[in-house]
Amino acid sequence: MRMTLKPFGFAAALALAGLVACTSGTDSAPPPAPVPAAMTLAYTNPASSGWRLVKDASSTPTRVVLNLVGPSGTRTRGVGFNLKAPAGARFGTFTGGLPIQDAGVYQLHAFGSTDPNEPVALAGGLKAGNLLSVGIYQKDRDQPAQDSGVALCRIAVTLDTAAGIPAGTALPLSVLKAKVIPEDIGAFTDDLWTLDRKMRMADITIATGTLTAQ
Amino acid sequence: MTFERSRRLPTLVFALALGAATAWAGTSPRFPAPAQIAFHRSQQTLRAGLAQDHLQARRASLGLGSLEGFRTAAVSTNALGEAIVRLDHTFDGHRVLGSQAVARVPLGGAVEASTDAVLKGVALSGQPLLTPATATAIALRHLAPRGPMEATPRVEQVVFPASFLGGPATVTDPVTGKASLDRHRTVHARMASPYVWAFEVRTRLANKVDGRKELTYHIDARTGAILRVVDEVRHQAVPATATGRGQYSGTVEIPSARMADGTYALYDPTRGTQPNPTLQSFTPDESGWSATGLQTWYEQNDAQGNNTWMSYLFQGNATNAWGDGLPFTAYGDEGGPNGQTMGVDAMHGMAWTWDFFQNVLGRAGMDGKGTSVFAQVGCTGTYSRENAAWSNWDQGMALGTGTPGGPGAFTDFDVIAHEMTHGVTGSTVGFLNTAGFEEAGLDEGTSDFFAQMAKAYAAAGDPYASTLPASGADWTIGAGVFNGTPLRWMNKPSLDLRSPDAWYHGIHYLDGHYSSGVLNRALYYLANGAPADASHPAYSPFLPQGMTGIGYEKTARIWYMAVSEILVSGGSGQLTFLHAREAARRAALYLYGEGSTGWGWDSPASRAVENAFGAVNVGLNYGEAPRTQVRFADFRNADWIERHHADSALGGSRQYFPMGERVRPMAQVLNNANTAVTWTVGGRSLFNGAEQMVHKGGVINADGTWTTPTDLGWFALTATSVADPRQSAEGRAFIVNLDADSDLEQDAVDMGALSYSWYLTNALNPAHSVFNAPWVDDGDVATFTDAVLATWWVR
Repeated sequence: MRMTLKPFGFAAALALAGLVACTSGTDSAPPPAPVPAAMTLAYTNPASSGWRLVKDASSTPTRVVLNLVGPSGTRTRGVGFNLKAPAGARFGTFTGGLPIQDAGVYQLHAFGSTDPNEPVALAGGLKAGNLLSVGIYQKDRDQPAQDSGVALCRIAVTLDTAAGIPAGTALPLSVLKAKVIPEDIGAFTDDLWTLDRKMRMADITIATGTLTAQ
Repeated sequence: MTFERSRRLPTLVFALALGAATAWAGTSPRFPAPAQIAFHRSQQTLRAGLAQDHLQARRASLGLGSLEGFRTAAVSTNALGEAIVRLDHTFDGHRVLGSQAVARVPLGGAVEASTDAVLKGVALSGQPLLTPATATAIALRHLAPRGPMEATPRVEQVVFPASFLGGPATVTDPVTGKASLDRHRTVHARMASPYVWAFEVRTRLANKVDGRKELTYHIDARTGAILRVVDEVRHQAVPATATGRGQYSGTVEIPSARMADGTYALYDPTRGTQPNPTLQSFTPDESGWSATGLQTWYEQNDAQGNNTWMSYLFQGNATNAWGDGLPFTAYGDEGGPNGQTMGVDAMHGMAWTWDFFQNVLGRAGMDGKGTSVFAQVGCTGTYSRENAAWSNWDQGMALGTGTPGGPGAFTDFDVIAHEMTHGVTGSTVGFLNTAGFEEAGLDEGTSDFFAQMAKAYAAAGDPYASTLPASGADWTIGAGVFNGTPLRWMNKPSLDLRSPDAWYHGIHYLDGHYSSGVLNRALYYLANGAPADASHPAYSPFLPQGMTGIGYEKTARIWYMAVSEILVSGGSGQLTFLHAREAARRAALYLYGEGSTGWGWDSPASRAVENAFGAVNVGLNYGEAPRTQVRFADFRNADWIERHHADSALGGSRQYFPMGERVRPMAQVLNNANTAVTWTVGGRSLFNGAEQMVHKGGVINADGTWTTPTDLGWFALTATSVADPRQSAEGRAFIVNLDADSDLEQDAVDMGALSYSWYLTNALNPAHSVFNAPWVDDGDVATFTDAVLATWWVR
């Protein structure tokens, strides 16, 4: 006999097949309830007291603003780092479209400068692989090094809601490179060997906290 | 030039006196008839008084003190009927040597005065200690006449500026033409202050023993030192007409001079009344030569065509017949008949070009002051052999020999006229002629255009004509030199495969000899009209309906007014083709402004100017709606680096990118909803020999991004509008290496290394500059941030 299955008839046939299976005597758990897609971000600060990314009070549920804070008492003249984020996390921007914001600690203009348009060493961009590269530096040796135990600059992370990341997913941030300009940059009176040794940025390690999609 | 206008006198007085003034309302209302010129001349003295009053009243604004003033030195009337008044600057009633103002006073008495040559800061201490008689005695002791003086020396107390202090003087051997130090006239005086009192003692000696001498001395009125000795002998040579056989001009009559020894020289004492600044360094001898007049010299080469750095006047010719009419090949014998051929062509071109400017445009020589001009033919060397050049410093030209089997001598008519026009623009608008500025094209185009006008003037054959013929220009440059193939085609510049037919954003990167195509074609259209036939070589897609030209005469007067009276560059590089268009429009309205709405608002001539420039994409055609435009976006928009960094000399339309990265160049499309562009690497400015290989690189990807090359330096990119492919823009992409910390990664951390170097700038810096420069400065900082933003922008 030839049968023609209509949609309704097809569903009825599936129900019958299930019934037949049940009669075999094997139990099966119900399928897990789908996890809702995350809509917000949560960030837990790292425990480190060294270089670290700390949540700023201006953060919102959908945009986490992170301060770069250094070890208290360590004086520096600038810092730069590359921070990688997984898919689902997006780096945000501040005024002027830059992905980094000056926290006002470093003296970015030349000593005594009155030119409001003077270029400052504040740069940032997003490289391939969701890699944020930012830097903020003093450029005048007449400006003193600054205590790094406070917020030096800010970056922002937002959730890419289009990615459909399930709530509860950890979004680990990893710092691939980080360097500072130390307080001692040598003096014009130093010999060349000494200067050559001091004309190096110092590697640092920046601790990141836990970023979670919620 | 600094012009200031004074009050106007009531015009009524002059209009009544002129009687027929209203008869000016013809096609050239600004050029009075000869009878009216006579009236203007009768007003010279009155107008000179107005000029003197005007300048006296301006003393304070000129920075002159209460002891200073002006005194009329000379007055004449030009072709426009304006009084030209030269006024000596005086200090305590005495003339300041070399300090003069020149005023122009037209009908109505509105004075325009040029005060650029008025010396500022004149200050003197004390009074003369010498008497005029003592100063005269010092001069005569130096003159050492052996026979009687012809006249009593004339003495005048003057203020002598240190800048006129004499120095080494030379004398030319009349037989060999070689120059040597003239010890008799060499002065090694020192002055106690920048300005001193002096006595000017003019002597005149003429007797059988001493011959003829006119030496003018300046004697320090306090120390008795001789400050300067100048030979004042002028024009002893007798004007003559020579027969010449030129390679380009054929058999022609050219001006020459019969010298004291009865031989002839390619020396025209009748054109140019002021001594040439370079020839002035030679001492007039008994041959009759002086530093005034048009002159044709030749460079002496050896038999292999190598420069010997010796130059001679074409002279010593007993028959006054010059040249053999053949292409130059006789290296080592430049003064012979074959070399003379170059001299014939040069003198032919010089005389006609001089007459064109003088008789048609009323200009006294290239600099407007009647300063003499010379041509030096037979030039060789890497640069000079196949080239021609004008020097404002020299007020003269260097003209190459060409190469046997290659280009001929650079003495064809349009080459000569082109170079001489540089002398006109050099002393008026003062274009900056450097690639990187649009006005380089304006400079070269102006020379090309007036070369055509001079060519037409010469072709008409009347050296006294005050108007231009309706035809006679061929609108090409250099065809003779290059064996029939022009160097430039003015009606279709792109035939040379380098010049554009129309303006585009970024044209300033072209050498002026190519960007000139825009002005050349606009002036061609203005004079001749533009065809509506798309198959015609001169057809412009920007003016498909074509236009009617206004003729040579009007076009020449309009453009001459634009460059001599309206446009101002002063070597600044600030002028664009759009400025040129506006200047031409203003000149058209000033000279030919009669329209349906009255005078000076809108006229057929001004509409023709708008259409002629619109046809080369400079502005719009008359009544046209805004066009699509493409501009290579400049991230900086004239910010700090544009104002401060040396690299900014090239002007805008630049973007900075890191090497070997995928970047997105930016272009703006204006006046069109479709802002899409297609990108190509390279541009017109690269069609310049080997540079094409160096500055064209990287790959344009399918999504419009550009994978930058790994070579540093500048590269060219061209963006073309998808909606209107006629419109494009060329820009410079500067490829820099951001990896300042040498870890083989370009990122923001590198800016730390850059800052590190900044700390040590100008001292022990190891050169982390993104410009590959030996120092780091704010230019690097700005460039770094721009390149990062342009490349790794955050979306």
